[in-house]
Amino acid sequence: MRNPFGLLLPALIPSWNFFDVIAPSPRVEYAVSDSPAGEPDWRAFGPRPERVSPLAMLGRLFWNPRWNQTLFVVSCAERLADQFTDHSQDEIFRRIGADLGPEMSGRWLRFRLIFVRREGEAIVAEELYVSDARRIGDPR
Amino acid sequence: MSLDLAIRLAQTLLALALLQQSLEHLCGPRDERALFGARAVLCGLVVAGLAAPWPLVGLAGLSLLILQRFQGPYNGGSDRMGLLALWCLTAATLAPSIHLKELFFGYLGAQLVLSYFISGGVKIVNPDWRSGRALGDVFRFSAYPVSEALRGWADRPRVLLAMSWAVMGFELAFPLAMLWRPGLVAALAVAATFHLANACLFGLNRFFWTWVATYPALLWLQARVF
Repeated sequence: MRNPFGLLLPALIPSWNFFDVIAPSPRVEYAVSDSPAGEPDWRAFGPRPERVSPLAMLGRLFWNPRWNQTLFVVSCAERLADQFTDHSQDEIFRRIGADLGPEMSGRWLRFRLIFVRREGEAIVAEELYVSDARRIGDPR
Repeated sequence: MSLDLAIRLAQTLLALALLQQSLEHLCGPRDERALFGARAVLCGLVVAGLAAPWPLVGLAGLSLLILQRFQGPYNGGSDRMGLLALWCLTAATLAPSIHLKELFFGYLGAQLVLSYFISGGVKIVNPDWRSGRALGDVFRFSAYPVSEALRGWADRPRVLLAMSWAVMGFELAFPLAMLWRPGLVAALAVAATFHLANACLFGLNRFFWTWVATYPALLWLQARVF
Protein backbone atom coordinates (compact mmCIF):
# COMPACT_ATOMS: atom_id res chain seq x y z
CA MET A 1 0.00 0.00 0.00
CA ARG A 2 1.32 3.43 -0.91
CA ASN A 3 1.88 6.21 1.61
CA PRO A 4 -0.99 8.81 1.43
CA PHE A 5 1.47 11.72 1.36
CA GLY A 6 3.11 10.14 -1.69
CA LEU A 7 -0.35 9.90 -3.26
CA LEU A 8 -1.10 13.53 -2.39
CA LEU A 9 2.05 14.96 -3.96
CA PRO A 10 0.95 14.64 -7.64
CA ALA A 11 -2.17 16.62 -6.71
CA LEU A 12 -0.18 19.45 -5.10
CA ILE A 13 2.31 19.61 -8.00
CA PRO A 14 0.08 18.58 -10.91
CA SER A 15 1.16 17.84 -14.47
CA TRP A 16 -2.16 18.78 -16.22
CA ASN A 17 -1.43 16.56 -19.22
CA PHE A 18 -5.07 15.59 -19.80
CA PHE A 19 -5.59 13.47 -22.93
CA ASP A 20 -2.09 14.22 -24.26
CA VAL A 21 -2.28 10.82 -25.95
CA ILE A 22 -5.30 8.56 -26.27
CA ALA A 23 -4.12 5.58 -24.25
CA PRO A 24 -5.35 2.00 -24.69
CA SER A 25 -8.78 1.81 -23.11
CA PRO A 26 -9.77 -1.09 -20.85
CA ARG A 27 -13.00 -3.05 -21.03
CA VAL A 28 -13.80 -5.08 -17.93
CA GLU A 29 -15.64 -8.33 -18.55
CA TYR A 30 -16.80 -10.85 -15.96
CA ALA A 31 -18.01 -14.43 -15.87
CA VAL A 32 -20.00 -16.20 -13.16
CA SER A 33 -19.92 -19.99 -12.82
CA ASP A 34 -20.81 -22.71 -10.32
CA SER A 35 -17.24 -23.94 -9.98
CA PRO A 36 -13.80 -22.34 -10.20
CA ALA A 37 -13.03 -24.32 -13.35
CA GLY A 38 -16.36 -23.52 -15.05
CA GLU A 39 -16.31 -22.44 -18.69
CA PRO A 40 -16.48 -18.60 -18.68
CA ASP A 41 -19.39 -16.84 -20.36
CA TRP A 42 -17.91 -13.33 -20.53
CA ARG A 43 -20.18 -10.31 -20.14
CA ALA A 44 -19.36 -6.60 -20.16
CA PHE A 45 -19.27 -4.88 -16.78
CA GLY A 46 -21.18 -1.59 -16.75
CA PRO A 47 -22.23 -1.56 -20.42
CA ARG A 48 -23.23 1.91 -21.59
CA PRO A 49 -26.82 2.46 -22.79
CA GLU A 50 -27.61 2.97 -26.46
CA ARG A 51 -28.79 6.54 -25.79
CA VAL A 52 -28.93 9.02 -22.93
CA SER A 53 -31.39 11.90 -23.18
CA PRO A 54 -30.15 15.50 -22.73
CA LEU A 55 -32.29 15.77 -19.59
CA ALA A 56 -30.65 12.66 -18.11
CA MET A 57 -27.22 14.07 -18.99
CA LEU A 58 -28.02 17.25 -17.07
CA GLY A 59 -29.40 15.22 -14.16
CA ARG A 60 -26.11 13.33 -13.96
CA LEU A 61 -24.40 16.62 -13.25
CA PHE A 62 -25.92 16.29 -9.77
CA TRP A 63 -26.17 12.50 -9.31
CA ASN A 64 -23.80 10.16 -11.12
CA PRO A 65 -22.57 7.45 -8.71
CA ARG A 66 -22.76 4.47 -11.08
CA TRP A 67 -20.82 6.16 -13.85
CA ASN A 68 -18.19 7.46 -11.44
CA GLN A 69 -17.81 3.94 -10.05
CA THR A 70 -17.39 2.65 -13.61
CA LEU A 71 -14.61 5.21 -14.15
CA PHE A 72 -12.95 4.07 -10.90
CA VAL A 73 -13.07 0.45 -12.10
CA VAL A 74 -11.46 1.64 -15.36
CA SER A 75 -8.71 3.29 -13.25
CA CYS A 76 -8.20 0.05 -11.32
CA ALA A 77 -7.98 -1.86 -14.62
CA GLU A 78 -5.32 0.57 -15.91
CA ARG A 79 -3.37 0.27 -12.65
CA LEU A 80 -3.62 -3.53 -12.80
CA ALA A 81 -2.30 -3.63 -16.36
CA ASP A 82 0.50 -1.25 -15.40
CA GLN A 83 1.54 -3.08 -12.24
CA PHE A 84 -0.34 -5.81 -10.42
CA THR A 85 -1.67 -4.87 -6.97
CA ASP A 86 -4.04 -6.82 -4.74
CA HIS A 87 -5.87 -3.55 -4.07
CA SER A 88 -6.84 -3.00 -7.72
CA GLN A 89 -7.86 -6.62 -8.18
CA ASP A 90 -9.88 -6.67 -4.94
CA GLU A 91 -11.68 -3.44 -5.87
CA ILE A 92 -12.72 -4.83 -9.26
CA PHE A 93 -13.91 -8.11 -7.71
CA ARG A 94 -15.78 -6.26 -4.98
CA ARG A 95 -17.57 -3.83 -7.28
CA ILE A 96 -18.58 -6.48 -9.81
CA GLY A 97 -19.78 -8.70 -6.95
CA ALA A 98 -21.81 -5.87 -5.41
CA ASP A 99 -23.33 -5.08 -8.80
CA LEU A 100 -24.42 -8.69 -9.28
CA GLY A 101 -26.36 -8.62 -6.02
CA PRO A 102 -26.68 -10.99 -3.04
CA GLU A 103 -28.48 -13.70 -5.05
CA MET A 104 -25.15 -14.55 -6.73
CA SER A 105 -23.36 -14.93 -3.39
CA GLY A 106 -21.31 -18.13 -3.15
CA ARG A 107 -20.92 -18.61 -6.91
CA TRP A 108 -17.54 -18.15 -8.61
CA LEU A 109 -16.53 -14.93 -10.31
CA ARG A 110 -13.72 -14.19 -12.74
CA PHE A 111 -12.93 -11.04 -14.66
CA ARG A 112 -10.70 -10.20 -17.57
CA LEU A 113 -9.34 -6.96 -19.00
CA ILE A 114 -9.49 -6.28 -22.73
CA PHE A 115 -7.55 -3.23 -23.88
CA VAL A 116 -8.71 -1.44 -27.03
CA ARG A 117 -6.16 0.70 -28.83
CA ARG A 118 -5.28 2.24 -32.16
CA GLU A 119 -2.62 0.48 -34.22
CA GLY A 120 -2.04 2.54 -37.36
CA GLU A 121 -5.38 2.74 -39.13
CA ALA A 122 -6.86 -0.22 -37.24
CA ILE A 123 -8.54 -0.44 -33.84
CA VAL A 124 -7.41 -3.61 -32.07
CA ALA A 125 -8.49 -5.32 -28.86
CA GLU A 126 -6.15 -7.44 -26.75
CA GLU A 127 -6.76 -9.48 -23.62
CA LEU A 128 -4.13 -8.41 -21.08
CA TYR A 129 -5.31 -9.95 -17.83
CA VAL A 130 -7.53 -12.78 -16.63
CA SER A 131 -8.12 -13.17 -12.91
CA ASP A 132 -8.37 -16.39 -10.97
CA ALA A 133 -11.85 -17.40 -9.86
CA ARG A 134 -13.02 -16.07 -6.50
CA ARG A 135 -16.20 -16.76 -4.56
CA ILE A 136 -18.68 -13.88 -4.78
CA GLY A 137 -18.96 -12.31 -1.34
CA ASP A 138 -15.42 -13.28 -0.35
CA PRO A 139 -14.58 -10.40 2.04
CA ARG A 140 -10.98 -9.92 0.76
CA MET B 1 -13.04 40.98 -4.64
CA SER B 2 -11.15 41.00 -1.31
CA LEU B 3 -8.85 38.13 -0.38
CA ASP B 4 -11.04 37.06 2.54
CA LEU B 5 -14.21 37.11 0.44
CA ALA B 6 -12.56 35.17 -2.40
CA ILE B 7 -11.21 32.53 0.02
CA ARG B 8 -14.61 32.20 1.69
CA LEU B 9 -16.38 31.88 -1.67
CA ALA B 10 -13.91 29.23 -2.87
CA GLN B 11 -14.26 27.33 0.44
CA THR B 12 -18.05 27.30 0.10
CA LEU B 13 -18.05 26.21 -3.56
CA LEU B 14 -15.47 23.49 -2.87
CA ALA B 15 -17.41 22.23 0.15
CA LEU B 16 -20.54 22.00 -2.01
CA ALA B 17 -18.59 20.12 -4.71
CA LEU B 18 -17.17 17.68 -2.12
CA LEU B 19 -20.63 17.31 -0.55
CA GLN B 20 -22.09 16.31 -3.93
CA GLN B 21 -19.35 13.66 -4.34
CA SER B 22 -19.78 12.45 -0.77
CA LEU B 23 -23.53 11.92 -1.22
CA GLU B 24 -22.79 9.75 -4.27
CA HIS B 25 -20.49 7.56 -2.15
CA LEU B 26 -23.17 7.06 0.50
CA CYS B 27 -24.74 4.40 -1.73
CA GLY B 28 -21.37 2.57 -1.96
CA PRO B 29 -19.70 -0.06 0.26
CA ARG B 30 -19.92 0.28 4.06
CA ASP B 31 -16.37 1.54 4.69
CA GLU B 32 -16.92 4.23 2.04
CA ARG B 33 -20.16 5.30 3.70
CA ALA B 34 -18.32 5.96 6.98
CA LEU B 35 -15.57 8.01 5.34
CA PHE B 36 -17.88 10.02 3.11
CA GLY B 37 -20.58 10.44 5.75
CA ALA B 38 -17.96 12.16 7.91
CA ARG B 39 -16.87 14.22 4.91
CA ALA B 40 -20.46 15.29 4.19
CA VAL B 41 -20.84 16.55 7.77
CA LEU B 42 -17.57 18.50 7.57
CA CYS B 43 -18.64 20.01 4.22
CA GLY B 44 -21.91 21.14 5.82
CA LEU B 45 -19.96 22.85 8.61
CA VAL B 46 -17.71 24.62 6.08
CA VAL B 47 -20.73 25.86 4.10
CA ALA B 48 -22.41 27.06 7.30
CA GLY B 49 -19.19 28.73 8.43
CA LEU B 50 -19.30 26.93 11.79
CA ALA B 51 -16.24 26.11 13.96
CA ALA B 52 -13.87 27.56 11.31
CA PRO B 53 -11.17 26.64 10.42
CA TRP B 54 -11.39 23.14 11.93
CA PRO B 55 -13.89 21.54 9.52
CA LEU B 56 -11.58 22.55 6.67
CA VAL B 57 -8.59 21.09 8.52
CA GLY B 58 -10.67 17.96 9.11
CA LEU B 59 -11.45 17.71 5.39
CA ALA B 60 -7.74 17.96 4.56
CA GLY B 61 -6.91 15.21 7.09
CA LEU B 62 -9.77 13.05 5.83
CA SER B 63 -8.52 13.45 2.25
CA LEU B 64 -5.42 11.46 3.24
CA LEU B 65 -7.55 8.59 4.55
CA ILE B 66 -9.59 8.66 1.32
CA LEU B 67 -6.40 8.61 -0.78
CA GLN B 68 -5.20 5.64 1.26
CA ARG B 69 -8.56 3.88 0.88
CA PHE B 70 -8.54 4.11 -2.94
CA GLN B 71 -4.73 4.07 -3.29
CA GLY B 72 -4.99 7.29 -5.27
CA PRO B 73 -7.74 9.58 -6.50
CA TYR B 74 -11.15 7.94 -7.04
CA ASN B 75 -11.80 9.91 -10.23
CA GLY B 76 -8.42 11.01 -11.61
CA GLY B 77 -7.97 14.66 -12.55
CA SER B 78 -11.10 16.04 -10.94
CA ASP B 79 -10.20 14.57 -7.55
CA ARG B 80 -6.63 15.83 -7.94
CA MET B 81 -7.92 19.38 -8.53
CA GLY B 82 -10.21 18.97 -5.51
CA LEU B 83 -7.22 17.95 -3.37
CA LEU B 84 -5.13 20.86 -4.65
CA ALA B 85 -7.93 23.32 -3.90
CA LEU B 86 -8.59 21.81 -0.48
CA TRP B 87 -4.96 21.90 0.64
CA CYS B 88 -4.34 25.40 -0.79
CA LEU B 89 -7.47 26.75 0.92
CA THR B 90 -6.55 25.04 4.20
CA ALA B 91 -3.02 26.46 4.05
CA ALA B 92 -4.33 29.94 3.12
CA THR B 93 -6.84 29.84 5.96
CA LEU B 94 -4.28 28.75 8.56
CA ALA B 95 -1.45 30.99 7.29
CA PRO B 96 -0.31 33.42 10.00
CA SER B 97 0.41 36.35 7.65
CA ILE B 98 -1.38 38.04 4.77
CA HIS B 99 1.58 37.36 2.46
CA LEU B 100 1.43 33.63 3.08
CA LYS B 101 -2.35 33.64 2.60
CA GLU B 102 -1.85 35.38 -0.75
CA LEU B 103 0.89 32.94 -1.69
CA PHE B 104 -1.18 29.79 -1.07
CA PHE B 105 -4.36 31.19 -2.62
CA GLY B 106 -2.43 32.67 -5.56
CA TYR B 107 -0.81 29.26 -6.15
CA LEU B 108 -4.28 27.78 -6.61
CA GLY B 109 -5.18 30.51 -9.12
CA ALA B 110 -1.91 30.04 -11.00
CA GLN B 111 -2.44 26.26 -11.18
CA LEU B 112 -5.90 26.87 -12.64
CA VAL B 113 -4.34 28.90 -15.48
CA LEU B 114 -1.74 26.15 -16.00
CA SER B 115 -4.44 23.47 -16.01
CA TYR B 116 -5.81 24.97 -19.23
CA PHE B 117 -2.56 26.19 -20.79
CA ILE B 118 -0.55 22.96 -20.31
CA SER B 119 -3.50 20.83 -21.42
CA GLY B 120 -3.56 22.81 -24.65
CA GLY B 121 0.22 22.60 -25.02
CA VAL B 122 0.45 18.81 -24.68
CA LYS B 123 -2.32 18.41 -27.26
CA ILE B 124 -1.00 20.74 -29.94
CA VAL B 125 2.39 18.99 -30.12
CA ASN B 126 0.57 15.73 -30.92
CA PRO B 127 -0.18 15.35 -34.68
CA ASP B 128 -3.21 13.18 -33.87
CA TRP B 129 -4.76 16.12 -31.99
CA ARG B 130 -3.95 18.55 -34.80
CA SER B 131 -5.65 16.26 -37.34
CA GLY B 132 -8.71 15.63 -35.16
CA ARG B 133 -7.94 11.89 -34.96
CA ALA B 134 -7.21 11.93 -31.22
CA LEU B 135 -10.64 13.39 -30.40
CA GLY B 136 -12.13 10.87 -32.83
CA ASP B 137 -10.47 8.08 -30.83
CA VAL B 138 -11.92 9.51 -27.59
CA PHE B 139 -15.38 8.98 -29.08
CA ARG B 140 -14.52 5.76 -30.95
CA PHE B 141 -12.94 3.59 -28.23
CA SER B 142 -12.20 5.44 -24.99
CA ALA B 143 -14.13 4.58 -21.83
CA TYR B 144 -15.73 8.03 -21.62
CA PRO B 145 -18.72 8.46 -24.00
CA VAL B 146 -21.85 7.94 -21.89
CA SER B 147 -23.83 6.19 -24.65
CA GLU B 148 -23.19 4.00 -27.67
CA ALA B 149 -24.88 6.62 -29.88
CA LEU B 150 -22.16 9.15 -28.96
CA ARG B 151 -19.54 6.83 -30.47
CA GLY B 152 -21.04 7.80 -33.84
CA TRP B 153 -19.39 11.21 -33.46
CA ALA B 154 -16.11 9.46 -34.31
CA ASP B 155 -17.30 9.38 -37.93
CA ARG B 156 -17.64 13.18 -38.25
CA PRO B 157 -14.04 14.17 -39.09
CA ARG B 158 -14.76 17.82 -39.95
CA VAL B 159 -16.68 18.43 -36.73
CA LEU B 160 -13.92 16.70 -34.73
CA LEU B 161 -11.22 18.77 -36.43
CA ALA B 162 -13.08 21.99 -35.61
CA MET B 163 -13.72 20.85 -32.03
CA SER B 164 -10.06 19.85 -31.54
CA TRP B 165 -8.76 23.23 -32.69
CA ALA B 166 -11.40 25.10 -30.70
CA VAL B 167 -10.34 23.25 -27.52
CA MET B 168 -6.60 23.64 -28.15
CA GLY B 169 -6.95 27.30 -29.17
CA PHE B 170 -9.03 28.16 -26.12
CA GLU B 171 -6.72 26.34 -23.71
CA LEU B 172 -3.57 27.91 -25.13
CA ALA B 173 -5.07 31.43 -25.23
CA PHE B 174 -6.50 31.19 -21.71
CA PRO B 175 -3.58 33.01 -19.95
CA LEU B 176 -4.20 36.09 -22.17
CA ALA B 177 -7.57 36.47 -20.46
CA MET B 178 -5.69 37.44 -17.30
CA LEU B 179 -4.84 40.81 -18.91
CA TRP B 180 -8.40 42.15 -18.95
CA ARG B 181 -11.09 41.59 -16.32
CA PRO B 182 -14.11 41.30 -18.67
CA GLY B 183 -12.05 38.97 -20.86
CA LEU B 184 -11.34 36.74 -17.86
CA VAL B 185 -15.00 36.62 -16.88
CA ALA B 186 -15.90 35.65 -20.47
CA ALA B 187 -13.11 33.04 -20.58
CA LEU B 188 -14.31 31.47 -17.33
CA ALA B 189 -17.86 31.33 -18.72
CA VAL B 190 -16.54 29.54 -21.83
CA ALA B 191 -14.43 27.22 -19.65
CA ALA B 192 -17.41 26.35 -17.45
CA THR B 193 -19.44 25.59 -20.61
CA PHE B 194 -16.58 23.33 -21.77
CA HIS B 195 -16.68 21.44 -18.45
CA LEU B 196 -20.47 21.24 -18.71
CA ALA B 197 -20.15 19.66 -22.17
CA ASN B 198 -17.61 17.15 -20.79
CA ALA B 199 -19.99 16.34 -17.96
CA CYS B 200 -22.85 15.70 -20.39
CA LEU B 201 -20.93 13.78 -23.07
CA PHE B 202 -18.40 11.91 -20.91
CA GLY B 203 -20.11 11.81 -17.51
CA LEU B 204 -17.34 13.88 -15.91
CA ASN B 205 -19.64 15.76 -13.53
CA ARG B 206 -16.95 16.11 -10.85
CA PHE B 207 -14.77 18.18 -13.18
CA PHE B 208 -17.50 20.79 -13.59
CA TRP B 209 -18.10 21.41 -9.88
CA THR B 210 -14.44 21.19 -8.82
CA TRP B 211 -13.08 23.53 -11.48
CA VAL B 212 -15.86 26.11 -10.93
CA ALA B 213 -15.01 26.04 -7.20
CA THR B 214 -11.52 27.33 -7.96
CA TYR B 215 -12.63 30.28 -10.12
CA PRO B 216 -12.70 32.77 -7.19
CA ALA B 217 -8.95 32.18 -6.76
CA LEU B 218 -8.34 33.26 -10.35
CA LEU B 219 -10.66 36.27 -10.18
CA TRP B 220 -8.83 37.41 -7.05
CA LEU B 221 -5.38 36.72 -8.56
CA GLN B 222 -6.18 38.71 -11.71
CA ALA B 223 -7.21 41.75 -9.66
CA ARG B 224 -4.17 41.38 -7.39
CA VAL B 225 -1.58 41.10 -10.18
CA PHE B 226 -3.02 43.21 -13.01
